[in-house]
This record gives sequence, C-alpha cells and structure tokens, in this order.
Amino acid sequence: MKVKVISRSVDDFTRERSQDLQRVFRNYDPSLRTQEKAVEYVRALNAVKLDKIFARPFIGAMDGHIDGVSCMAKNPTQLKWIFSGAMDGDIRLWDIASRRTVCQFPGHQGAVRGLTVSTDGRMLVSCGTDCTVRLWNTSADNIMELSNSTKNSVEPASVHVGKNAYLAVDHQWDSELFATAGAQLDIWNHNRSEPINSFQWGSDSVISVRFNPGEPNLLATSANDRSIMLYDLRMVSPVRKMIMMTKTNSIAWNPMEPINFTAANEDGNCYSYDARKLDEAKCVHRDHVSAVMDIDYSPTGREFVTGSYDRTVRFFYYNSGHSREIYHTKRMQRVFCVKFSGDGSYVISGSDDTNLRLWKAKASEQLGVVLPRERKKHEYHAAIKKRYMHLPEVKRIERHRHLPKPIYKAATLMRAMSDARKRKEERRKAHSAPGSVTTQPLRRRRIIKEVE
Amino acid sequence: MRMTGDAADDDSSEEGDGRHTRMLQGITGMPSEAFEGKKKRKMKDDGIPELYPESEYNPSRDVVDGDGQISIDDLLNPLQDNPGFGKLRKRIQQIENNSKAIHAPLRTADQAKVERKAAYEISKKEVTKWQQIIQRNREAPTLLFDENIDLGFSTVGAIASEFEPRTEFERKMAALVSDDKVMEAYKKDGSRLLEMNTVSVEEEKDRQSRIAKMRSLLFRHELKAKRIKKIKSKTYHRLLKKDRLKTEYSKIQMDPEVAKEFAMKQERLRAEERMTLRHKNQNRWAKRILTRGLNSQDEGTRAAIAEQLQRHSELTRKMHSMKDSSSSSDGDDEDAGSDQDMGSKVLGKAIEKTMKVIQDDDETPKSGLLSLPFMRRGLEKNKAAAIEEANLALQEYKDSKKKLENSVGSEGPEATSISGRRVFGASKTQISDAGNKVKSDYNYGSSDSEDDLRASKNGNIETQRSNILQKDVNTDPVLIQEDTDNHQESVFKDFNEIVKNPGPKTTYEVSLFVSDTWKKAGNRDEKGTNVKKSAMPSGSVRQDRKDTEKEVEEDSDTDSEGQMVDRILTSGSKLSYELPSQEELIRQAFAGDDLEDEFEKDKMEILNAENPEPEKPVLLPGWGQWTHVQKKKGLPSWMLKEHENAWKKREEAIKKRKDAQLKNVIISEKLDKKAEKLHTKALPFPFTSKEAFEQSMRVPIGPESNPATAIGALNRPEVVKRPGVIIKPIQFEEVNPHEKPEERRGDKHRSKKNKGSGGRSMKKTSA
Repeated sequence: MKVKVISRSVDDFTRERSQDLQRVFRNYDPSLRTQEKAVEYVRALNAVKLDKIFARPFIGAMDGHIDGVSCMAKNPTQLKWIFSGAMDGDIRLWDIASRRTVCQFPGHQGAVRGLTVSTDGRMLVSCGTDCTVRLWNTSADNIMELSNSTKNSVEPASVHVGKNAYLAVDHQWDSELFATAGAQLDIWNHNRSEPINSFQWGSDSVISVRFNPGEPNLLATSANDRSIMLYDLRMVSPVRKMIMMTKTNSIAWNPMEPINFTAANEDGNCYSYDARKLDEAKCVHRDHVSAVMDIDYSPTGREFVTGSYDRTVRFFYYNSGHSREIYHTKRMQRVFCVKFSGDGSYVISGSDDTNLRLWKAKASEQLGVVLPRERKKHEYHAAIKKRYMHLPEVKRIERHRHLPKPIYKAATLMRAMSDARKRKEERRKAHSAPGSVTTQPLRRRRIIKEVE
Repeated sequence: MRMTGDAADDDSSEEGDGRHTRMLQGITGMPSEAFEGKKKRKMKDDGIPELYPESEYNPSRDVVDGDGQISIDDLLNPLQDNPGFGKLRKRIQQIENNSKAIHAPLRTADQAKVERKAAYEISKKEVTKWQQIIQRNREAPTLLFDENIDLGFSTVGAIASEFEPRTEFERKMAALVSDDKVMEAYKKDGSRLLEMNTVSVEEEKDRQSRIAKMRSLLFRHELKAKRIKKIKSKTYHRLLKKDRLKTEYSKIQMDPEVAKEFAMKQERLRAEERMTLRHKNQNRWAKRILTRGLNSQDEGTRAAIAEQLQRHSELTRKMHSMKDSSSSSDGDDEDAGSDQDMGSKVLGKAIEKTMKVIQDDDETPKSGLLSLPFMRRGLEKNKAAAIEEANLALQEYKDSKKKLENSVGSEGPEATSISGRRVFGASKTQISDAGNKVKSDYNYGSSDSEDDLRASKNGNIETQRSNILQKDVNTDPVLIQEDTDNHQESVFKDFNEIVKNPGPKTTYEVSLFVSDTWKKAGNRDEKGTNVKKSAMPSGSVRQDRKDTEKEVEEDSDTDSEGQMVDRILTSGSKLSYELPSQEELIRQAFAGDDLEDEFEKDKMEILNAENPEPEKPVLLPGWGQWTHVQKKKGLPSWMLKEHENAWKKREEAIKKRKDAQLKNVIISEKLDKKAEKLHTKALPFPFTSKEAFEQSMRVPIGPESNPATAIGALNRPEVVKRPGVIIKPIQFEEVNPHEKPEERRGDKHRSKKNKGSGGRSMKKTSA
C-alpha cells in the first residue's frame, strides 16, 4: 500500500541562529482564502487611518531673520544647507539639520529679492531692490571657515550695480551663466562685470525668471504685464510670449520633463504648460484661495509645492487638478517662498513672519533609518491604499483635512461662486440658439492671447 | 514677396506688363526697377531686331521710352577688342543669371516678430526630442532614483589600498613597512611559521569528532531543557524542585565549601527579609486578603498566608535559634537514618520539658488580679486539670516511645518507602497510602500552625511536640489506621490543652486542623466512592447497558441512508392500508396550508415595503372646518392630484421591477447599506470599464497570499527614492521609440547588475 506522508528534510527547517525567521510554507490558492479581498480592504482602511494618526509634517522653524523672508536658494550639492534672503537685506545660510544660522552675508541696502546658487555650489548670487547683484563665495571650505570664525559674516566676491531694481535671479544648470530679472532680462557671467546679454520685450518689468534645468538654454520669465515669456539663449531674441488674465508670480520647470513648466498665478491657481503649446494649459491646479506666491518642483518631477498668500503650503501632483496635501500653522503668515529639498523628502517654506519652516514632504512618513521589513510594510500599505483609494470610506478619510476657518470659508465661497457661474452659463446655453454660446474650457479660459 | 516676383515671371503677355508692374508696385511698395529689369532681359532674349541703326540721332528704344540708363552692356561693348573680354563677359553673364532682387529691410517690430517666430520653431523642435523620454517615464510603473549611488569604497581592502601616508609618523611607518629587507624577512619567517603550523590529518579528525560530540551533547541538553521548560505540570516542577534541593543538600553536606556558600546565601536571604519584610503580609495580595478578613477566605488562601508567615518567621528568627535548629538537624543527620533513635530522643526531650512545665507551674502570683482568692481558686483548678493532662500526655509519650522501640524492625522498609508524594489509584498499597496521606496532611497542618505557635511564648516546646507528633505519625501508620479519627482528635485535644494560652490564635489553629481533617474526610469519601464504584454491580451493569446501546446506535449510523429508507418502506408495507399515490401524498401533506396564497401575500408585503403606498390625503384636524364651504369642497385639488401622481409613480415602479413579470419569484431591490460602502458611486478616473476596475483589485497583493518573490514587484511604489540622496535633473539620452517596455525592464535589471554602466536619464543621482 502506498502511504502518502509529508516528508521534510530537517536541514531545510533548522534555523542557523535563533533570531532567524521560521520557514513557513503557504498555499497560495485563492480558493482557500476567500476573504482576502475583504481583509485587504480593512487593511487599507486601517492604513489610511494610521496615516492620519502619524501625520506630523512640521519638523521645526528656523528663526533668525528680522523681516519677512522673500527668497530662498538651495545648494545643489549640499542637502543640509539652504540660503534665505529677507526684506531687510539680510542673507543667511541655514543648517537644516540643526536649524541654526551658519553664517550671514550682509551688504544689501534694500530687500533681497532673488537668490541662487551655482550648480557646483561655489557661488551664491543675490540681487535686490538696491539695484545691485552680489556674488558670494560659498564653497564648502569657505563656509566652514566662516562658521568657525567669530565674526560670522563675509565680504561679497563681487558687486555689480545696475540702473534698476532687480526682482529675481536664477542660475543656469552646469554653467557659469545666470539671469537677473528687473526692468529687463539680463544674462550674466560670473567673470564679467557687465551683463553679456539683455532681452527686453514690452516695457513692463520682469518679476521672475527660471532656467530649465533639463534643457539649460531655455528659460521662462513672468512679467508685470501678466505675461509669461520664453527665451532661448542660443537665439538672439525672446522666443514666445503669452498673456494671461492675471499676473504670474513664479514659474517652475519640471526637472524631469524639460518641456513642461508650471506657473503660479495671482488668481490662486497654478497652470501647467507645455512650452510648445502655450495656447492652452495642460492642467489647472486649483485649491489655493489666494494668490500663489512661489512654486517649486520636487526633484522627482512627480509633484510640486506651492506657497500662497493665504498662509498655506500645498502639494500637487504634476497631473492632478487638486492638491494632495495642505500644510498650515497658526503662526505662519503669508508664504513668499517654498523649496523642495534636494532629495525630495523635505520642504522649506519662508514666510512673512520672518521664519523658515521645515516640513516633511509626506506628512506621515517615518523619519530615520527604516528597516527592510518596515519598508516592506510601508510599501504594502501604500499599495493597498492606492488600490482601494476609490472606495468611499477610504477616500473620505484620506481626503479629510482640517482647515483654518478663513480658508475653509473662502474655499466654500469660491466654490459657490464658481457653481453659480457654471449654472448661469448652462442656462444661457440652454436658452439660446444651439452653437451661439460656447464655453471655453478652464484650461483656456484664463489665457488672453499668445504673442508671436 | 518672392511669390510676387515669380508671378511676374510667369506673366508673358507684353500688354499686361505695365499694368502688372504698377499693381506689384502698389502692393509691395518696391521700386519698379525690380520688375523692369527682368522684363528688359526677357525682351533681349526674345531678340526683336532694331529698326534703326544705333546712333545719337536714332536713340535706342530705351531712350525713347524715357529709360535712358546706361547698362553694363553699353559699357562692355567698347571693350570687345581688348584681351580678356571673353572672360569678363562670362563673369558678367554669370552675375546676371544668379542675381536676385534684394528686398528692402522690414520694420524692426515686424522683423523681430519674424525672428521670434523662427526662433520659437527651432527651440520647439529642439525640445521635442524629450517627448520619448517623458512618455516612457510617465508610463513606467516605477521610477527609480536610488540607482547608481556611488558609495565609495565598499571593502576594507579597497580603502586600505588607497591609503596614502600624510603625517610624519605615517610616512615613517610606511617607509618601514615597505622596506625590502623587512619584507623579505617577513616572507621567510612567514613561510617557516607556516611549516610549523602543520597539523596531521588524524589530529584534525580527532579534533573535529571531539567538537562534534560536544556539540551534539550540548544540543541534546538544550533540547531536553527546552522540553522540560515546556512542561506545565505543577507537581512535576515541585518534584523537580525537591530533587534539586535534595541534591543541593547532599552537596552541602559533602562539601564544606558548598556548605559555606549555602550559609552565606541563607544569611543574605535573612538579611534581605529583615530589610524588606517581604513575607510579612507586605505585598498587595496579602494586604487585600487581610482587609477582607482571613476568616472569609478559602482553605488554600489561608494556607498560603500561613505559609508565607512561616517563611517570614523562619527567615527572621534570631540567629541562635536557627543555629540551634541547624545544629539539631545536624545532630539528626549525624544519627543518619536511624529515625527511631531520633524519635526516641525527641520523645525523651518532650517528656523532660513537660515535666519541667508541670514543676514550673507551681508558682502562684502573689499580687494583682490573679492574687484574689476566687481567681486563685480557679487557677488552681485549672492547674490541677492541666497537670493531670500533662501526666496523661507523659504517659502517652512513654507509650509511644515504647512502641517506637518495638517497631524498629518492621518499620525500616516502610519508612524508606514513605515519601512526601501522594499516590492515587494504587489499589495495592491503598491502606499504607492512606496512612501516608494522613501523615502528609498532618505535616501540612503542623507546618501551618507552627508559625503561630512559635509566635506564642513557649513556641519551642510546641514545635518540639509537633515534631514528636509527626514522628509519631510517621513511625506507625498501622496504629493510625486502627483508630484514625478518634486518636487524632484526642491527640489534638491534648495538644490544645497543653497549650497554655487558649486565645483566638489557638482557635485559629483549631480551625486549620479542622479544615485539614475535613480535607481528609473528603479524601476518604472519594476513596469510599471509588470502592463503591468498583463494588457496586448495578452501576457497572448500567454502564454496560449504555455501552451496548451505544454500539447499537453506532451500528445504525454505519448503515447507509438507503437502508434507512428501506426500513421506513418496509415498516410502511407492514401497515395494512394501501399506499396512496405521490400526488395524493403531497396533497395530504400540505392539506392545511395554501402555499400559493401565502407566497402572493409575501410578495405583496415586500412590494409594499420597498415601494410604500402613498398616504391618503387628509386635512389637518380643525383646519378649514369652521365653515361649510371647505367641507363641501372637500380636499383641495392639488392634494388629490399629488396623491394620484404618487399612486402612478408607485405603479410604474412596481411595473419596472425585475420580478414584475415573474409570477413565482421575488427579487428584492432593497439596497444593502453595508455593501454600499464597498462600491464606488461612479467609475473612477483612469478606468474605462467596470470590468477593468474590478479586475484591478481582484487578486490580493498581500504577503499572505503571494510568494515573497512576487511581493516586491506587486507593492513597489511609483517613485523609489532614498532619503539623503540628491536627485539631479534629467539628462538627455537617445530612446528607441519602438522598444517594448518589457525589454526595457529587463535592460534595467541588467544595468542594475553592472552598476555604473547605464546612463539612464532618470537615474542620475549622486551621493
């Protein structure tokens, strides 16, 4: 007679150390586990709830400026250092890890409006309303020296004086060029005292400039005449201009998609554009209830952060119409500048209340060393959350945010207004001859024209 | 603009020429020469002959037309004879053939516009090269940003190989280390050392086998320890503990070192106890029990409390007494085995002490309350009784001593066989077991009481006595068996009466003893029942009957159902009346109930519940009733209309139901609110069909239902990055648009393996 028995070799099941995991064999036949889907749904629900519990995004504030923080710059080679400029002309270098000032760069007589660091991290460029552009030597050795010395301040490497106030500056990726914006757009070289090139199109002053990190010769500016302009440094002239209904305060290029940029608009929305098709936005990111002051892309290119005049910081996916996250604190005032950290896991915001604030990019992310098993668990939770995201309960918990009262009220009001507008539009359409009334999609509605 | 020029070329008719030129002039704003020149050339090509010879009287046609310009030909003609004329003419012809019209510059604004447009086209084209990469990255299930991290040297060797001496000291060391002589010497020495290190095969084998043996021993020991640790039996552990104590005890006796250690340990325990008073009802449990009242506790608790107190007193007893006891025990041990001897000794001591008590008690108080005459009388009476009893006790002691001496020979093996362990169910040695039990119970009882007794003034004596008692019981179980209860009681009575201060404590003791006896009684009862069970035939018979019944039942169970049916059928056939047909049977069976009607009713109920009938329209009581007008009018028309509408709606809803046409079916259309939670209201965005959406969450992705190899891929997040690693912006690379994503994934793996080779666009990171 044939007897079926389970035969297992001892060697396979003997642990080498007592800490080793016991070997477990499972039968993965789905018919044996009929409740698995329900189990996973409950797990997803719990994961979402856990996320809520662990959501502690605020890490700390960096206190030291004596006026509102107007601009920031991150060092592309260093994660822990960030420069910030204030309205009183003070420039500081912060150590994010200890949240202390490493050193100061005094010299500006008026507000500092623009800061940028060269790609190798050796040169800091600042400009301000005192019509000067200042270059500072910020190589690591120099900084260490400065932080160790007693006086904690530094002389600029060079000072260039212009005719008009400068409102923004940005550095080209991997080169010695940088651009300042003011009455016109100037292109500078580190080693020259005069701009090597100037662009002017229209008579209004340019308020922001941003180089495309992926395609270093492209840059975009926004101006006071509500326009967004594209430039190509290989050409002798500006490339294209587009005029919107409201002013664009800041522009950010997607670092992973060099053809796309997002504009932070005065009307509280952000507009993602394809640089090749400026007649309509690719995506309109709504949620802020007041002007968006600054925008910065995560280095992964999958999301961006915005700081707004409504005292909040919001996170958007590059392709979603609404924000995934909102950060606010009682003491945080108008946010003027935001920056993602170089590794994409932190966000720094500078606001009118003279503080820089350090946030986690994911509110419930676990900081510190994550063991492989923990990581796997987190990944699993994220996966099931994503899978059951559409079910009403999970969605509700995930989307729920506590908002400051003024923002909540403003949002409700704005929603009511837009609903009313929509209703009116619909009725108008219904009561007029077919085809005589057309509605512009939101992606085009705010664009006035594209100028060649 | 060029187009206009071409148009002029196309125009061949001469009459239209002038008009056309003018038109062109008007449109373009360019001078007419641009067009004229061409026309002229064309005319020349046509080769129309001149009517008059060329002279200043016969001016050329151009001059007549008012176009008196000097052409290049005019200038060239006189040079015809000169050498090199042919060359010159050729060149001129070339120039003429290739020449185009030069346009006038545009306005600056227009010009800039054109430039910008061109520039935009160019940069657009330039930027479009990213399209493929972006597409690929957007479609990728995961973006990896943690690849190609240069962590520097990975091994100690690699780090060491890169070492460069910097300081003075390091340089000196390096010079020494890399010295040729030193190296040579080291090499030689090293080789010699190696030679000395040789180990024979046998030795190695021997060593290995030794190690293996040790390991297996260790392993077995470990296994055994594990097994023992898992045993939950209290009895077993008690025995184990006893064994351990025994071995320790023997060790203590054998080895003075161990004895010393033991003494030290004991001393420390005592000191600790004195400091912490741990066993003096200090812990929460004891306190709670005391507050609740000791009397209201059950047997075990009281015993435990007493035990604790005893332990405390043991540990805090003054040293000299302990020494006494230890010395006495030592003395006992020196006697080694001869229990009888020891017993007799103890008995002798007891006799002595009782005598002493009798003598001591002669003293009478001469002052105070006790000196009053009636008190004295009472005391004397008591004393007399006590002395009498003491005498009795003495007598008994002597008796027992004698017995002890008598039963020396028979006692030996019995005593050795006796152990502290209870044995149940061994019928052979039941009697002796009972004796044992009694003994052990006594032991418990006495030990319980000991503490309190000692607490009393003349504790020593009592302990002695109890010891004696124990010995007594130990030594002759036969005697105990003979007069079990009475004897015990009498002994205890004696005992109690001997005790001089009969207060609450003694009563407590009594209660303890009583409880003990009760216990014993219980035991005995059990035994009795056992015996009964075994003795009574009726019980067993009953059991048997039951068993047989069971068997029968089992048999019937083993029968198949068909057989059961058969049985029924056969029983039916046995009956006298005829078997009715199937239909009749069914009719008979369901005679009383009208199923169809019930079903209809049910269906109607469900229908009504799911689509409730609209309420009848009624006026609010009192409203509009004070005039006759309203009454005459009846209900307002809108109410009636609404009611009618509601009815219609209901009827339509009922018609639309799925079971409207099905007569014998009820399909509930009630929504399950709990299940609703698990459904989305609309199809979520990226999905195009319900099936696709459901498919997306069909297979579970958890570690319980997937092998470990698959989980990673199933749960991988969209963006994999590592905190602390700076992510650089994208860099351009050529992408084959026709490449399949699978291939690319494979490629990725490959690139992962040979690190540093892949120049992936997204994966450019730096540490």
